[in-house]
Amino acid sequence: MARILIVDDEANLRLLYRKELEEEGHEVLEAATAEEGIRAFERSAPDLVVLDIRMPGMNGLEAMARILDRDRRIPIILHTAYDSYRDDFTSWAADAYVTKGPDTTELKRTIRRLLEEREHLGPPEI
Amino acid sequence: MATSPRRERKTVHPDVLRRVITFVLAGGKGERLYPLTRDRSKPAVPFGGTYRIIDFTLSNCVNSGLRRIYLLTQYKSASLQLHVKQGWNLFSAELGEYVWTIPPQLRVGTTWYLGTADAVWQNVYILSDEKPSHVVILSGDHVYRMDYREMLAEHIERGAEATMAVIPVPAAEASRFGVVETDTEGRVTGFREKPKDLDPRGPEVLANMGVYVFDTETLVAAVSRDARRESSSHDFGHDVFPALVAEGRRVIAHRFHGAGTDRRPYWRDIGTLDAYYDANMDLVSVSPEFNLYDREWPVRSAPIQAPPAKFVFAGGEKGRIGEALDSLVSPGAIVSGGRVERSILGPGCRVNSWSRVEDSILMDGVDVGRHAVVRRAIVDKGVRIPEGYEIGVDPEADRKRFFVTPGGLVVIPKGELLD
Repeated sequence: MARILIVDDEANLRLLYRKELEEEGHEVLEAATAEEGIRAFERSAPDLVVLDIRMPGMNGLEAMARILDRDRRIPIILHTAYDSYRDDFTSWAADAYVTKGPDTTELKRTIRRLLEEREHLGPPEI
Repeated sequence: MATSPRRERKTVHPDVLRRVITFVLAGGKGERLYPLTRDRSKPAVPFGGTYRIIDFTLSNCVNSGLRRIYLLTQYKSASLQLHVKQGWNLFSAELGEYVWTIPPQLRVGTTWYLGTADAVWQNVYILSDEKPSHVVILSGDHVYRMDYREMLAEHIERGAEATMAVIPVPAAEASRFGVVETDTEGRVTGFREKPKDLDPRGPEVLANMGVYVFDTETLVAAVSRDARRESSSHDFGHDVFPALVAEGRRVIAHRFHGAGTDRRPYWRDIGTLDAYYDANMDLVSVSPEFNLYDREWPVRSAPIQAPPAKFVFAGGEKGRIGEALDSLVSPGAIVSGGRVERSILGPGCRVNSWSRVEDSILMDGVDVGRHAVVRRAIVDKGVRIPEGYEIGVDPEADRKRFFVTPGGLVVIPKGELLD
Protein backbone atom coordinates (compact mmCIF):
# COMPACT_ATOMS: atom_id res chain seq x y z
CA MET A 1 0.00 0.00 0.00
CA ALA A 2 2.04 2.94 1.23
CA ARG A 3 5.38 3.61 2.87
CA ILE A 4 4.88 5.34 6.21
CA LEU A 5 7.55 6.95 8.38
CA ILE A 6 6.85 7.00 12.10
CA VAL A 7 8.89 9.43 14.18
CA ASP A 8 8.38 8.82 17.92
CA ASP A 9 10.82 8.59 20.82
CA GLU A 10 8.92 5.78 22.58
CA ALA A 11 10.00 2.36 21.29
CA ASN A 12 6.88 0.62 22.62
CA LEU A 13 4.57 2.97 20.78
CA ARG A 14 6.54 2.61 17.56
CA LEU A 15 6.19 -1.14 17.86
CA LEU A 16 2.44 -0.82 18.39
CA TYR A 17 1.97 1.48 15.39
CA ARG A 18 4.20 -0.71 13.23
CA LYS A 19 2.08 -3.77 13.94
CA GLU A 20 -1.20 -2.00 13.36
CA LEU A 21 -0.10 -0.34 10.15
CA GLU A 22 1.57 -3.43 8.75
CA GLU A 23 -1.72 -5.24 9.34
CA GLU A 24 -3.29 -2.67 7.02
CA GLY A 25 -0.70 -3.64 4.43
CA HIS A 26 1.65 -0.62 4.81
CA GLU A 27 5.41 -0.65 4.84
CA VAL A 28 6.59 1.04 8.07
CA LEU A 29 9.83 2.92 8.72
CA GLU A 30 10.83 4.08 12.19
CA ALA A 31 12.86 6.94 13.64
CA ALA A 32 13.44 7.61 17.35
CA THR A 33 14.34 11.31 17.09
CA ALA A 34 13.45 14.27 14.87
CA GLU A 35 16.97 14.37 13.44
CA GLU A 36 16.80 10.67 12.60
CA GLY A 37 13.36 11.23 11.11
CA ILE A 38 14.65 13.92 8.73
CA ARG A 39 17.48 11.63 7.61
CA ALA A 40 15.08 8.72 7.12
CA PHE A 41 12.77 11.01 5.15
CA GLU A 42 15.58 12.01 2.81
CA ARG A 43 16.86 8.45 2.43
CA SER A 44 13.64 6.55 1.85
CA ALA A 45 11.07 9.01 0.41
CA PRO A 46 8.00 7.87 2.37
CA ASP A 47 4.41 8.52 1.20
CA LEU A 48 3.34 9.89 4.59
CA VAL A 49 4.94 10.92 7.89
CA VAL A 50 3.53 10.47 11.40
CA LEU A 51 5.34 12.88 13.70
CA ASP A 52 5.39 12.98 17.47
CA ILE A 53 5.93 16.54 18.75
CA ARG A 54 7.54 16.27 22.18
CA MET A 55 10.84 14.45 21.74
CA PRO A 56 14.32 14.90 23.19
CA GLY A 57 16.39 17.27 21.01
CA MET A 58 14.56 18.83 18.08
CA ASN A 59 10.78 18.74 18.43
CA GLY A 60 8.30 17.54 15.86
CA LEU A 61 7.17 21.02 14.79
CA GLU A 62 10.66 22.03 13.78
CA ALA A 63 11.17 18.67 12.08
CA MET A 64 7.96 19.27 10.13
CA ALA A 65 9.23 22.66 8.90
CA ARG A 66 12.45 21.01 7.71
CA ILE A 67 10.63 18.15 6.00
CA LEU A 68 8.22 20.56 4.27
CA ASP A 69 11.18 22.57 3.15
CA ARG A 70 12.29 19.50 1.22
CA ASP A 71 8.83 18.47 0.02
CA ARG A 72 5.84 20.76 0.45
CA ARG A 73 3.34 18.08 -0.58
CA ILE A 74 4.26 15.22 1.74
CA PRO A 75 1.25 14.45 4.00
CA ILE A 76 2.19 14.95 7.65
CA ILE A 77 0.20 13.90 10.69
CA LEU A 78 1.15 15.45 14.00
CA HIS A 79 0.61 12.74 16.56
CA THR A 80 0.90 13.87 20.13
CA ALA A 81 -0.49 13.22 23.58
CA TYR A 82 -0.94 16.96 24.09
CA ASP A 83 -3.74 19.07 22.71
CA SER A 84 -2.01 22.33 23.56
CA TYR A 85 0.34 22.29 20.57
CA ARG A 86 -2.60 23.41 18.46
CA ASP A 87 -2.06 26.84 20.02
CA ASP A 88 1.30 26.97 18.27
CA PHE A 89 0.22 28.09 14.83
CA THR A 90 3.15 26.39 13.12
CA SER A 91 1.26 23.14 13.83
CA TRP A 92 -1.41 24.33 11.38
CA ALA A 93 0.83 23.46 8.45
CA ALA A 94 0.23 19.76 9.19
CA ASP A 95 -2.38 17.89 7.20
CA ALA A 96 -3.85 16.53 10.42
CA TYR A 97 -3.45 16.70 14.18
CA VAL A 98 -4.26 13.47 15.96
CA THR A 99 -4.24 13.11 19.73
CA LYS A 100 -2.34 9.99 20.85
CA GLY A 101 -4.16 7.25 22.74
CA PRO A 102 -4.14 3.52 23.20
CA ASP A 103 -6.67 3.23 20.39
CA THR A 104 -5.15 3.69 16.93
CA THR A 105 -8.47 3.84 15.04
CA GLU A 106 -8.31 7.63 14.59
CA LEU A 107 -4.71 7.49 13.37
CA LYS A 108 -5.49 4.75 10.88
CA ARG A 109 -8.59 6.54 9.64
CA THR A 110 -6.61 9.75 9.12
CA ILE A 111 -3.83 7.93 7.26
CA ARG A 112 -6.41 6.32 4.98
CA ARG A 113 -8.08 9.69 4.29
CA LEU A 114 -4.84 11.50 3.48
CA LEU A 115 -3.57 8.75 1.20
CA GLU A 116 -6.87 8.78 -0.66
CA GLU A 117 -6.76 12.56 -0.99
CA ARG A 118 -3.26 12.34 -2.34
CA GLU A 119 -4.32 9.71 -4.88
CA HIS A 120 -7.20 11.97 -5.87
CA LEU A 121 -4.89 14.96 -6.35
CA GLY A 122 -2.79 13.14 -8.93
CA PRO A 123 0.84 13.84 -9.81
CA PRO A 124 2.71 16.69 -8.14
CA GLU A 125 1.98 20.23 -9.26
CA ILE A 126 4.69 21.80 -11.33
CA MET B 1 -15.83 77.46 6.84
CA ALA B 2 -18.78 76.12 4.92
CA THR B 3 -20.38 73.15 6.54
CA SER B 4 -20.83 70.22 4.24
CA PRO B 5 -22.65 67.11 5.36
CA ARG B 6 -19.95 64.65 6.24
CA ARG B 7 -20.39 60.96 5.76
CA GLU B 8 -20.62 59.27 9.11
CA ARG B 9 -17.30 57.74 10.06
CA LYS B 10 -17.32 54.24 11.39
CA THR B 11 -14.94 53.39 14.12
CA VAL B 12 -14.12 50.67 16.62
CA HIS B 13 -13.72 50.71 20.36
CA PRO B 14 -10.15 51.10 21.70
CA ASP B 15 -10.52 47.71 23.47
CA VAL B 16 -10.90 46.12 20.05
CA LEU B 17 -7.86 47.95 18.69
CA ARG B 18 -5.73 46.63 21.55
CA ARG B 19 -6.39 43.11 20.35
CA VAL B 20 -5.24 43.84 16.80
CA ILE B 21 -1.75 43.09 15.48
CA THR B 22 -0.47 44.91 12.41
CA PHE B 23 2.07 43.50 10.00
CA VAL B 24 3.67 46.04 7.69
CA LEU B 25 5.32 44.24 4.78
CA ALA B 26 8.49 46.17 4.09
CA GLY B 27 10.59 43.50 2.41
CA GLY B 28 10.19 44.34 -1.28
CA LYS B 29 13.34 44.78 -3.33
CA GLY B 30 11.85 47.70 -5.25
CA GLU B 31 13.80 46.86 -8.39
CA ARG B 32 11.69 49.23 -10.46
CA LEU B 33 12.80 52.11 -8.25
CA TYR B 34 16.45 51.43 -9.01
CA PRO B 35 18.84 53.30 -8.56
CA LEU B 36 17.01 54.85 -5.57
CA THR B 37 16.88 51.32 -4.10
CA ARG B 38 20.54 50.60 -4.75
CA ASP B 39 21.44 51.30 -1.11
CA ARG B 40 18.08 50.95 0.66
CA SER B 41 14.78 49.11 0.56
CA LYS B 42 11.79 50.72 -1.11
CA PRO B 43 10.00 51.78 2.11
CA ALA B 44 13.18 53.62 3.16
CA VAL B 45 13.36 55.77 0.01
CA PRO B 46 13.19 59.48 0.96
CA PHE B 47 9.94 61.17 -0.01
CA GLY B 48 8.59 64.72 0.12
CA GLY B 49 11.77 66.26 1.48
CA THR B 50 11.73 65.13 5.09
CA TYR B 51 9.89 61.79 4.92
CA ARG B 52 10.53 58.19 3.95
CA ILE B 53 7.85 56.23 2.09
CA ILE B 54 7.22 54.05 5.18
CA ASP B 55 6.19 57.14 7.22
CA PHE B 56 2.83 57.34 5.46
CA THR B 57 1.77 53.84 6.44
CA LEU B 58 3.12 54.17 9.98
CA SER B 59 1.38 57.54 10.39
CA ASN B 60 -1.88 55.93 9.25
CA CYS B 61 -1.36 53.25 11.91
CA VAL B 62 -0.73 55.72 14.71
CA ASN B 63 -3.59 58.01 13.65
CA SER B 64 -5.88 54.94 13.50
CA GLY B 65 -4.89 53.78 16.97
CA LEU B 66 -3.02 50.68 15.74
CA ARG B 67 -0.03 50.50 18.05
CA ARG B 68 1.12 46.90 17.97
CA ILE B 69 3.12 46.89 14.78
CA TYR B 70 5.58 44.43 13.31
CA LEU B 71 7.57 45.74 10.40
CA LEU B 72 8.74 42.74 8.38
CA THR B 73 11.94 43.67 6.60
CA GLN B 74 14.24 41.76 4.29
CA TYR B 75 16.58 43.23 1.68
CA LYS B 76 18.92 46.12 2.52
CA SER B 77 17.02 46.81 5.72
CA ALA B 78 19.70 48.77 7.62
CA SER B 79 18.54 52.18 6.42
CA LEU B 80 14.91 51.38 7.20
CA GLN B 81 15.74 50.01 10.63
CA LEU B 82 17.75 53.11 11.48
CA HIS B 83 14.96 55.40 10.35
CA VAL B 84 12.33 53.55 12.38
CA LYS B 85 14.58 53.64 15.43
CA GLN B 86 15.15 57.38 15.04
CA GLY B 87 11.64 58.38 14.06
CA TRP B 88 9.20 55.90 15.49
CA ASN B 89 10.53 55.27 18.94
CA LEU B 90 7.39 56.83 20.40
CA PHE B 91 5.54 53.82 21.72
CA SER B 92 5.36 52.58 25.25
CA ALA B 93 6.26 48.91 25.37
CA GLU B 94 5.04 48.88 28.97
CA LEU B 95 1.56 49.69 27.70
CA GLY B 96 1.78 46.98 25.07
CA GLU B 97 2.46 49.43 22.25
CA TYR B 98 5.38 49.00 19.90
CA VAL B 99 6.77 49.03 16.43
CA TRP B 100 9.29 46.20 16.11
CA THR B 101 11.45 45.74 13.07
CA ILE B 102 11.77 42.03 12.34
CA PRO B 103 14.27 40.69 9.80
CA PRO B 104 13.68 37.13 8.50
CA GLN B 105 14.06 34.59 11.32
CA LEU B 106 14.09 31.48 9.13
CA ARG B 107 12.10 29.58 11.75
CA VAL B 108 9.91 27.81 9.24
CA GLY B 109 11.65 27.46 5.93
CA THR B 110 15.22 28.21 5.05
CA THR B 111 14.64 30.79 2.34
CA TRP B 112 13.92 34.49 2.30
CA TYR B 113 10.29 35.44 1.85
CA LEU B 114 8.81 33.91 -1.28
CA GLY B 115 5.92 36.38 -1.29
CA THR B 116 3.70 38.49 0.97
CA ALA B 117 1.81 35.47 2.33
CA ASP B 118 5.05 33.61 3.01
CA ALA B 119 6.33 36.63 4.95
CA VAL B 120 3.36 36.30 7.29
CA TRP B 121 3.61 32.50 7.46
CA GLN B 122 7.29 32.67 8.39
CA ASN B 123 6.34 35.01 11.26
CA VAL B 124 3.29 33.09 12.40
CA TYR B 125 5.02 32.46 15.75
CA ILE B 126 4.23 36.10 16.58
CA LEU B 127 0.52 35.35 16.28
CA SER B 128 0.91 32.17 18.38
CA ASP B 129 2.44 34.27 21.15
CA GLU B 130 0.13 37.29 20.90
CA LYS B 131 -3.16 35.61 19.99
CA PRO B 132 -4.73 38.76 18.52
CA SER B 133 -8.39 38.80 17.50
CA HIS B 134 -7.64 40.42 14.15
CA VAL B 135 -4.60 41.00 11.99
CA VAL B 136 -4.15 44.04 9.74
CA ILE B 137 -1.72 43.54 6.86
CA LEU B 138 -0.27 46.59 5.15
CA SER B 139 2.28 47.40 2.55
CA GLY B 140 5.23 49.63 3.45
CA ASP B 141 5.53 51.27 0.06
CA HIS B 142 2.24 53.06 -0.55
CA VAL B 143 1.49 56.74 -0.08
CA TYR B 144 -2.03 57.38 1.19
CA ARG B 145 -4.11 58.53 4.09
CA MET B 146 -6.42 55.92 5.52
CA ASP B 147 -8.29 55.33 8.76
CA TYR B 148 -7.97 51.59 9.27
CA ARG B 149 -10.63 51.76 12.01
CA GLU B 150 -13.32 52.22 9.37
CA MET B 151 -12.19 49.06 7.63
CA LEU B 152 -12.00 47.08 10.89
CA ALA B 153 -15.47 48.30 11.81
CA GLU B 154 -16.90 47.12 8.49
CA HIS B 155 -15.08 43.80 8.77
CA ILE B 156 -16.55 43.15 12.22
CA GLU B 157 -20.03 44.53 11.49
CA ARG B 158 -20.46 42.43 8.39
CA GLY B 159 -19.08 39.28 9.94
CA ALA B 160 -16.32 38.95 7.37
CA GLU B 161 -13.47 36.46 7.71
CA ALA B 162 -11.20 38.48 5.44
CA THR B 163 -11.54 42.01 4.06
CA MET B 164 -9.56 43.79 1.38
CA ALA B 165 -9.56 47.54 0.77
CA VAL B 166 -10.41 48.59 -2.78
CA ILE B 167 -10.30 51.86 -4.67
CA PRO B 168 -12.16 52.65 -7.91
CA VAL B 169 -9.83 53.23 -10.87
CA PRO B 170 -10.64 54.05 -14.52
CA ALA B 171 -10.97 50.97 -16.75
CA ALA B 172 -8.14 52.36 -18.89
CA GLU B 173 -5.74 51.88 -15.95
CA ALA B 174 -7.02 48.45 -14.91
CA SER B 175 -4.03 46.65 -16.43
CA ARG B 176 -1.80 48.02 -13.65
CA PHE B 177 -3.85 46.56 -10.82
CA GLY B 178 -5.32 43.46 -9.30
CA VAL B 179 -8.99 43.96 -10.14
CA VAL B 180 -11.60 42.80 -7.63
CA GLU B 181 -15.07 41.62 -8.63
CA THR B 182 -17.90 41.92 -6.13
CA ASP B 183 -21.61 41.24 -5.88
CA THR B 184 -24.08 44.01 -5.10
CA GLU B 185 -23.45 43.60 -1.36
CA GLY B 186 -19.71 44.14 -1.71
CA ARG B 187 -18.84 40.50 -1.18
CA VAL B 188 -15.82 39.48 -3.24
CA THR B 189 -16.67 36.99 -5.99
CA GLY B 190 -13.56 36.93 -8.13
CA PHE B 191 -10.27 38.46 -9.21
CA ARG B 192 -8.56 39.45 -12.41
CA GLU B 193 -4.85 40.07 -12.27
CA LYS B 194 -3.87 43.09 -14.38
CA PRO B 195 -6.57 42.55 -17.05
CA LYS B 196 -5.62 43.85 -20.48
CA ASP B 197 -8.88 43.19 -22.31
CA LEU B 198 -11.19 45.74 -20.66
CA ASP B 199 -12.84 48.47 -22.73
CA PRO B 200 -10.87 51.57 -21.68
CA ARG B 201 -14.08 53.64 -21.90
CA GLY B 202 -15.94 51.16 -19.71
CA PRO B 203 -17.03 51.76 -16.13
CA GLU B 204 -14.54 52.12 -13.29
CA VAL B 205 -13.19 48.94 -11.74
CA LEU B 206 -12.15 48.19 -8.15
CA ALA B 207 -8.41 47.84 -7.55
CA ASN B 208 -6.89 45.87 -4.68
CA MET B 209 -4.88 48.29 -2.51
CA GLY B 210 -2.89 45.63 -0.65
CA VAL B 211 -4.56 46.55 2.66
CA TYR B 212 -6.10 43.55 4.41
CA VAL B 213 -7.95 42.70 7.62
CA PHE B 214 -8.24 39.08 8.75
CA ASP B 215 -9.72 37.16 11.62
CA THR B 216 -6.59 35.59 13.08
CA GLU B 217 -7.65 31.98 12.60
CA THR B 218 -8.76 32.60 9.02
CA LEU B 219 -5.38 34.15 8.30
CA VAL B 220 -3.37 31.34 9.89
CA ALA B 221 -5.38 28.64 8.13
CA ALA B 222 -5.05 30.49 4.80
CA VAL B 223 -1.30 31.12 4.91
CA SER B 224 -0.49 27.67 6.31
CA ARG B 225 -2.44 26.05 3.47
CA ASP B 226 -0.83 28.39 0.97
CA ALA B 227 2.62 27.44 2.26
CA ARG B 228 1.85 23.85 1.24
CA ARG B 229 0.86 24.73 -2.33
CA GLU B 230 3.71 24.14 -4.71
CA SER B 231 2.18 26.11 -7.58
CA SER B 232 1.52 29.18 -5.39
CA SER B 233 3.47 32.41 -5.74
CA HIS B 234 2.61 32.96 -2.02
CA ASP B 235 1.05 36.35 -2.61
CA PHE B 236 -2.06 37.60 -0.78
CA GLY B 237 -3.71 39.19 -3.81
CA HIS B 238 -2.69 36.55 -6.29
CA ASP B 239 -3.05 33.33 -4.29
CA VAL B 240 -4.49 33.62 -0.78
CA PHE B 241 -7.60 35.71 -1.50
CA PRO B 242 -8.60 33.77 -4.64
CA ALA B 243 -8.28 30.53 -2.62
CA LEU B 244 -10.47 31.94 0.19
CA VAL B 245 -13.12 33.04 -2.30
CA ALA B 246 -12.99 29.63 -4.05
CA GLU B 247 -13.55 27.95 -0.67
CA GLY B 248 -16.66 30.07 -0.17
CA ARG B 249 -15.25 31.99 2.80
CA ARG B 250 -16.84 35.34 3.66
CA VAL B 251 -14.52 37.81 1.95
CA ILE B 252 -15.63 41.42 1.54
CA ALA B 253 -14.33 44.49 -0.25
CA HIS B 254 -14.03 47.65 1.84
CA ARG B 255 -14.43 50.77 -0.25
CA PHE B 256 -11.53 53.11 0.58
CA HIS B 257 -12.27 56.62 1.84
CA GLY B 258 -9.51 59.09 2.47
CA ALA B 259 -8.81 60.30 5.98
CA GLY B 260 -8.14 63.80 7.29
CA THR B 261 -10.07 66.97 6.60
CA ASP B 262 -10.80 66.68 2.90
CA ARG B 263 -11.15 62.87 2.88
CA ARG B 264 -9.98 62.77 -0.71
CA PRO B 265 -9.40 59.09 -1.54
CA TYR B 266 -5.74 59.58 -2.41
CA TRP B 267 -3.69 56.39 -2.78
CA ARG B 268 -0.50 55.76 -4.76
CA ASP B 269 1.48 52.59 -5.18
CA ILE B 270 5.03 53.83 -5.64
CA GLY B 271 5.77 51.19 -8.25
CA THR B 272 8.03 53.03 -10.67
CA LEU B 273 10.37 56.01 -10.70
CA ASP B 274 7.83 57.99 -12.71
CA ALA B 275 5.10 57.14 -10.18
CA TYR B 276 7.49 58.11 -7.38
CA TYR B 277 8.10 61.47 -9.04
CA ASP B 278 4.41 62.13 -9.69
CA ALA B 279 3.46 61.32 -6.09
CA ASN B 280 6.13 63.72 -4.82
CA MET B 281 4.83 66.42 -7.13
CA ASP B 282 1.31 65.83 -5.78
CA LEU B 283 2.57 67.52 -2.59
CA VAL B 284 3.73 70.86 -3.96
CA SER B 285 0.83 72.60 -5.69
CA VAL B 286 -1.27 75.37 -4.12
CA SER B 287 -4.09 72.98 -3.30
CA PRO B 288 -2.23 69.72 -3.45
CA GLU B 289 -3.66 66.25 -4.14
CA PHE B 290 -2.05 65.22 -0.86
CA ASN B 291 -2.04 67.89 1.83
CA LEU B 292 0.83 67.41 4.29
CA TYR B 293 -0.41 70.40 6.30
CA ASP B 294 -3.67 68.79 7.40
CA ARG B 295 -3.57 68.85 11.21
CA GLU B 296 -6.36 66.31 11.40
CA TRP B 297 -4.22 63.54 9.91
CA PRO B 298 -0.57 64.38 10.57
CA VAL B 299 2.23 62.55 8.81
CA ARG B 300 5.23 62.11 11.08
CA SER B 301 8.83 61.21 10.42
CA ALA B 302 12.21 61.17 12.13
CA PRO B 303 12.92 64.60 13.66
CA ILE B 304 15.62 66.60 11.92
CA GLN B 305 18.17 68.55 13.93
CA ALA B 306 18.77 71.45 11.56
CA PRO B 307 18.29 75.20 11.40
CA PRO B 308 15.37 76.68 9.43
CA ALA B 309 15.59 76.89 5.65
CA LYS B 310 17.24 80.10 4.54
CA PHE B 311 16.79 82.20 1.40
CA VAL B 312 19.43 84.81 0.64
CA PHE B 313 20.26 87.47 -1.92
CA ALA B 314 17.30 89.73 -2.49
CA GLY B 315 18.56 90.80 -5.88
CA GLY B 316 21.56 93.07 -5.61
CA GLU B 317 23.28 91.73 -8.70
CA LYS B 318 21.41 90.88 -11.90
CA GLY B 319 19.49 87.57 -11.59
CA ARG B 320 21.00 86.80 -8.22
CA ILE B 321 17.83 86.15 -6.21
CA GLY B 322 17.40 83.27 -3.81
CA GLU B 323 13.80 82.09 -4.17
CA ALA B 324 11.66 78.97 -4.17
CA LEU B 325 8.13 78.86 -5.62
CA ASP B 326 5.56 76.06 -5.63
CA SER B 327 8.13 74.04 -3.76
CA LEU B 328 8.84 72.28 -0.48
CA VAL B 329 12.10 73.29 1.18
CA SER B 330 13.35 71.21 4.13
CA PRO B 331 15.17 72.47 7.23
CA GLY B 332 18.85 73.20 6.87
CA ALA B 333 18.51 74.04 3.18
CA ILE B 334 19.93 77.30 1.83
CA VAL B 335 18.66 78.82 -1.37
CA SER B 336 21.55 81.14 -1.94
CA GLY B 337 20.94 83.28 -4.99
CA GLY B 338 19.45 80.48 -7.12
CA ARG B 339 15.87 79.92 -8.26
CA VAL B 340 13.77 76.89 -7.37
CA GLU B 341 10.43 76.12 -8.97
CA ARG B 342 8.00 73.20 -8.55
CA SER B 343 10.62 71.19 -6.69
CA ILE B 344 11.30 69.44 -3.43
CA LEU B 345 14.53 70.16 -1.56
CA GLY B 346 15.68 67.74 1.13
CA PRO B 347 17.38 68.77 4.37
CA GLY B 348 20.69 70.58 3.99
CA CYS B 349 20.46 71.20 0.25
CA ARG B 350 22.22 74.22 -1.15
CA VAL B 351 21.21 76.05 -4.32
CA ASN B 352 23.90 78.53 -5.33
CA SER B 353 23.78 81.79 -7.25
CA TRP B 354 22.32 81.99 -10.74
CA SER B 355 21.46 78.30 -10.74
CA ARG B 356 17.98 76.99 -11.56
CA VAL B 357 16.20 73.97 -10.15
CA GLU B 358 12.89 73.17 -11.85
CA ASP B 359 10.43 70.27 -11.51
CA SER B 360 12.97 68.27 -9.57
CA ILE B 361 13.46 66.28 -6.39
CA LEU B 362 16.70 66.91 -4.51
CA MET B 363 17.38 64.64 -1.57
CA ASP B 364 19.44 65.47 1.54
CA GLY B 365 22.58 67.50 1.11
CA VAL B 366 22.51 68.01 -2.67
CA ASP B 367 24.63 71.00 -3.68
CA VAL B 368 23.78 72.85 -6.89
CA GLY B 369 26.72 74.89 -8.18
CA ARG B 370 26.53 78.40 -9.58
CA HIS B 371 24.88 78.76 -12.99
CA ALA B 372 23.96 75.08 -12.99
CA VAL B 373 20.56 73.94 -14.35
CA VAL B 374 18.59 70.99 -12.98
CA ARG B 375 15.33 70.15 -14.72
CA ARG B 376 12.99 67.16 -14.33
CA ALA B 377 15.50 65.22 -12.29
CA ILE B 378 15.63 63.07 -9.16
CA VAL B 379 18.95 63.68 -7.44
CA ASP B 380 19.75 61.29 -4.60
CA LYS B 381 21.58 62.18 -1.39
CA GLY B 382 24.86 64.03 -1.28
CA VAL B 383 25.36 64.66 -5.00
CA ARG B 384 27.42 67.75 -5.83
CA ILE B 385 26.40 69.37 -9.08
CA PRO B 386 29.37 71.36 -10.43
CA GLU B 387 29.25 75.00 -11.51
CA GLY B 388 27.55 75.50 -14.87
CA TYR B 389 26.50 71.85 -15.13
CA GLU B 390 23.27 71.07 -17.01
CA ILE B 391 20.85 68.25 -16.23
CA GLY B 392 17.59 67.81 -18.12
CA VAL B 393 18.50 70.30 -20.82
CA ASP B 394 19.95 68.07 -23.56
CA PRO B 395 18.15 64.68 -23.57
CA GLU B 396 20.84 63.06 -25.74
CA ALA B 397 23.65 64.06 -23.43
CA ASP B 398 21.60 62.96 -20.38
CA ARG B 399 21.02 59.50 -21.82
CA LYS B 400 24.74 59.03 -22.32
CA ARG B 401 25.62 59.98 -18.76
CA PHE B 402 22.65 59.05 -16.62
CA PHE B 403 19.76 56.77 -15.94
CA VAL B 404 16.67 58.22 -17.69
CA THR B 405 13.15 56.92 -16.96
CA PRO B 406 10.53 56.11 -19.65
CA GLY B 407 8.86 59.38 -18.62
CA GLY B 408 12.10 61.27 -19.38
CA LEU B 409 13.29 61.96 -15.83
CA VAL B 410 17.00 61.98 -15.12
CA VAL B 411 17.94 59.99 -12.02
CA ILE B 412 21.30 60.53 -10.31
CA PRO B 413 22.19 57.91 -7.70
CA LYS B 414 23.39 58.60 -4.17
CA GLY B 415 26.89 60.01 -3.96
CA GLU B 416 27.46 59.99 -7.75
CA LEU B 417 30.49 62.05 -8.78
CA LEU B 418 29.84 64.52 -11.58
CA ASP B 419 32.47 66.43 -13.48
